[in-house]
Amino acid sequence: MQNSFIARNPSVLWFLAALGLFTFGVTILSEATGLGLISTSFVKTLGKTLCLCLIAIAMDVVWGYCGILSLGHFAFFGIGGYAIGMWLMYARTETIVLESLAGQNIPATPQEISDAIGNQIFGVVGSSDFPAIWAFADSLVLQLAMVVLMPGLLALVFGWLAFRSRVTGVYLSILTQAMTLALSLYLFQNDSGLRGNNGLSGLQNIPGFEATPQATISIIFFLASAFALGAGYLFFAWVISGKMGSVVQGIRDNEARVRFLGYQVESYKLFIFTITAIVSGIAGALYYPQAGIINPGEIAPIASIYLAVWVAIGGRGRLYGAVIGAAFVSLLSSWFTGGGAPNVNLGFYTIQWTDWWLVLLGLSFVVVTLYFPKGIGGLFDYLVRKPS
Amino acid sequence: MRILLSAFVFMFCAMAASAQDLQSLLQDNADDIAKPSRNSIGVVLDQMVATGLPQVPAFLEQWSDKNVWQDDITGTFFMATEADDTLTLTDIDTGAETTVPSDGFTQLKPNGGVRRVIGTALVQFQLIDPDTTRRAAALESIARRPEASQLAPLMASLEGETDPALLARKQNLITILSARFAEDPADRIAAIEALAEETSVETRAVLNQILATKPGVATDLPDANIAAQHDPMTGPDGYYAALVAADLATPLTTPDDIRAAMEANIIDGRVGGVPTAQLDTDAARARAYATLAAAGTVPPLVGIPERDNALNTHVFFDTYTEDDPAITTAARNALDQVETAVALAQTVDLGLDALSLASIYFLAAIGLAITFGVMGVINMAHGEFIMMGAYTGYVIQLFVPDYTIAIIIALPTAFAITFAAGVTMERLVIRHLYHRPLETLLATFGISIALQQLAKNIFGTQARPLTSPAWLDGAWIISDVIQISYIRIAIFIMALFFLALILFILKRTRLGLEVRAVTQNPGMAASMGINPDRINMLTFGLGSGIAGIAGVAIGLYAKVTSEMGADYIVQSFMTVVVGGVGNVWGTLAGASLIGGLQKGIEWFNPSNTLAAQTYMILFIILFIQFRPKGIVALKGRAAAD
Repeated sequence: MQNSFIARNPSVLWFLAALGLFTFGVTILSEATGLGLISTSFVKTLGKTLCLCLIAIAMDVVWGYCGILSLGHFAFFGIGGYAIGMWLMYARTETIVLESLAGQNIPATPQEISDAIGNQIFGVVGSSDFPAIWAFADSLVLQLAMVVLMPGLLALVFGWLAFRSRVTGVYLSILTQAMTLALSLYLFQNDSGLRGNNGLSGLQNIPGFEATPQATISIIFFLASAFALGAGYLFFAWVISGKMGSVVQGIRDNEARVRFLGYQVESYKLFIFTITAIVSGIAGALYYPQAGIINPGEIAPIASIYLAVWVAIGGRGRLYGAVIGAAFVSLLSSWFTGGGAPNVNLGFYTIQWTDWWLVLLGLSFVVVTLYFPKGIGGLFDYLVRKPS
Repeated sequence: MRILLSAFVFMFCAMAASAQDLQSLLQDNADDIAKPSRNSIGVVLDQMVATGLPQVPAFLEQWSDKNVWQDDITGTFFMATEADDTLTLTDIDTGAETTVPSDGFTQLKPNGGVRRVIGTALVQFQLIDPDTTRRAAALESIARRPEASQLAPLMASLEGETDPALLARKQNLITILSARFAEDPADRIAAIEALAEETSVETRAVLNQILATKPGVATDLPDANIAAQHDPMTGPDGYYAALVAADLATPLTTPDDIRAAMEANIIDGRVGGVPTAQLDTDAARARAYATLAAAGTVPPLVGIPERDNALNTHVFFDTYTEDDPAITTAARNALDQVETAVALAQTVDLGLDALSLASIYFLAAIGLAITFGVMGVINMAHGEFIMMGAYTGYVIQLFVPDYTIAIIIALPTAFAITFAAGVTMERLVIRHLYHRPLETLLATFGISIALQQLAKNIFGTQARPLTSPAWLDGAWIISDVIQISYIRIAIFIMALFFLALILFILKRTRLGLEVRAVTQNPGMAASMGINPDRINMLTFGLGSGIAGIAGVAIGLYAKVTSEMGADYIVQSFMTVVVGGVGNVWGTLAGASLIGGLQKGIEWFNPSNTLAAQTYMILFIILFIQFRPKGIVALKGRAAAD
């Protein structure tokens, strides 16, 4: 079975090989484990990019294969980040509080410890009580379960409501956008229990590994992200290659026809929507410890739209296209906005790329949509002629 | 007999005073006049007023304005104006003027407190002053600082009042003053009942003042006008704090107190016999504290049982500062009545707010609805067309200084510019993407981010003003509760105008007929000789043009930034989705629903607009469940995707 799956999908092997090679190369060149040619911050950037590639392939499955243009997948990404961030922040604050209390004559009661942690975490929003959603924050296992469960449940409920009443096409896109907007607005409130617009911070410090240098932590997260991307790629490639994949793509091409053939279109869509949401949550949980901070601005509608942009530029309907798009556009974007690109002096006007990059991105996006609907990934079609 | 005698003496004095001129009265009280104090001045003022001399008001005014001077030698008082070391003296009684050097005269400078007392005495003269503006000013000063003494002169002045507005104001003030200060409780109750008819802030303030309470605590309920009695268990900590503040209880022993006691009493690593290492539970600490308390080293523990015990042996109540229960009852009833009326008025006000918000959403969304309805194209750059319209208004105001003319120019210019932009976009991009609605969405989104960044590059990131003409400033005030700004009325009228215009275009013109034909069935329309390309182009231009006009309207009352379009785009989408596609009335219904809903939720929780938006979006997500195609759904073949 496995053999024939690989045989039918040679691109999976190629991709995994490329990913492995890339990971190996970065590990060799990084500060912690090798020659030190790649700085720690760049390793983090690469690790984050891998997480973005992971959510991009999820987006590709839900949009490119199932035809649901979700403009809300970053909400799931953010929920995953918040779920792991709660544990990271709680555990780290607990360590700090215990240290500061250790020197006292009288040992602290559990209540005092909890109050001190609450004060540390919620002081910025003028509160010190733990909201109910922090009930499991002291347990890594439970919060890891939340990383999977929360996005999954939200996607399940939302998808069930939406697909059941046959909301499709543009309507569904707007609705998913409304969902992520509602979530980010909710989190922006100080009494949401997640520190309002301050978000969760200090996530790059892993509790229990205070002595470990960031260089090592960054490479570990990089490897974990690479592994997650590889596993996610394999999983999605498997999902879309079988009979189920054919049905899903059938739904994309003509939903009514698939329904008339007797398939439960809603169930398939709900499955794809939920499973991609869970993968997005996992991607978020890997991303934010590398980013160090998460706030509600991260899940604003614009983020999910950029996700669609990456997938579109990379090429929809092929998983490696999504990876290429996410990696290419996000790295290019940070190169341009970070001042990496040289300014162009036109004599009468100097083009500063920090100002003009978004204009360029917007216009090139229009051009790609108009003239290269297959995106960058479409270029591979010229290299590999599939036997028809 | 003695009373009679004293009354006789008083009358005699008064007669004697009236027989005098003002100067001699002043001389009799020369010390009080020259160095007045707030407490002693009242008697002198009463005497002056009692003379009924016509020169008294003028003198009081000059005195208050520090224009009264005293001759150092003779002690005579003059009204005087000073100029270059000379004084123009005016005799207080005769009005004769003389000019003398200012040496040898001392200016009287009554302090603020005294001037206020003088002002109060002056009020009765001002109330019958022939000048209406001065009468009005006197009334306002009474309204600002109501006092019992003003009631009598106010009533006396009622008779000669000729100005109907001032007469009404006087009667109104008399009611307010009698409600608070009238001697006879029956008069007060009558006045309070009269107040129940009004909803002004002033009335409510008066009633609330009568109903002012102060909290009290005692072992037994005192014999007073009790407003309410409280059950201390509803908020034990707060009530216990009141008990402590009244010195009727000792403060609770807090965990911090216990901890401090532990730290202060560590002996050989033990506290009260308990090893410190074991003090990490509340139970162990309680044990240690009990031992310490028994030994007398720390005050006895005041915990929850002690607190509850203390609370149960006391009564907590509010007493009215007003002693008469009949009056407070009347005031309570009146206030209830007033508050019902106010709540009603607030509902009306909320309705107006919702209407104004709905008209903004309608303006922002109608263009989107038209393009979506006719072409099935979602234009994500619609918000940026709104922004373009607003910036057009801003740029025109830079060149045209007269705001009225600027707005008149800006509206058609904004329409023209965004119409052109819309047509260009349709020709260059959207035309190639028909039948691929999701990709149109993305392509227009690309245009949207490019336009937004472009605006940022040109105009900068800070907000630009789009000033409304002066005649649109201010608000239409219907009552203290119901008011609406003229800009919002103007936007409402504009929305109505565009509703009518669009309905006219769609239902009464050739273009509208063709647009409706293309909406229903493009293929059939084409075979009837309609050019769908041209219709699509014009429709898209029209929708974009209206967005430009909406931008000018929105810019007038909100700030103009490069991101303003993004602020409205989601709401516009909601409006279109909720209202249903391709129908003007649907958009109207959607805008009303969303505007009303947003204001309604904000009313429940006014401090938190973020929560209001969150709940509204949740509501819309649920709403779509029940009417997936919006309020006004197309039926039949036109509804096919």
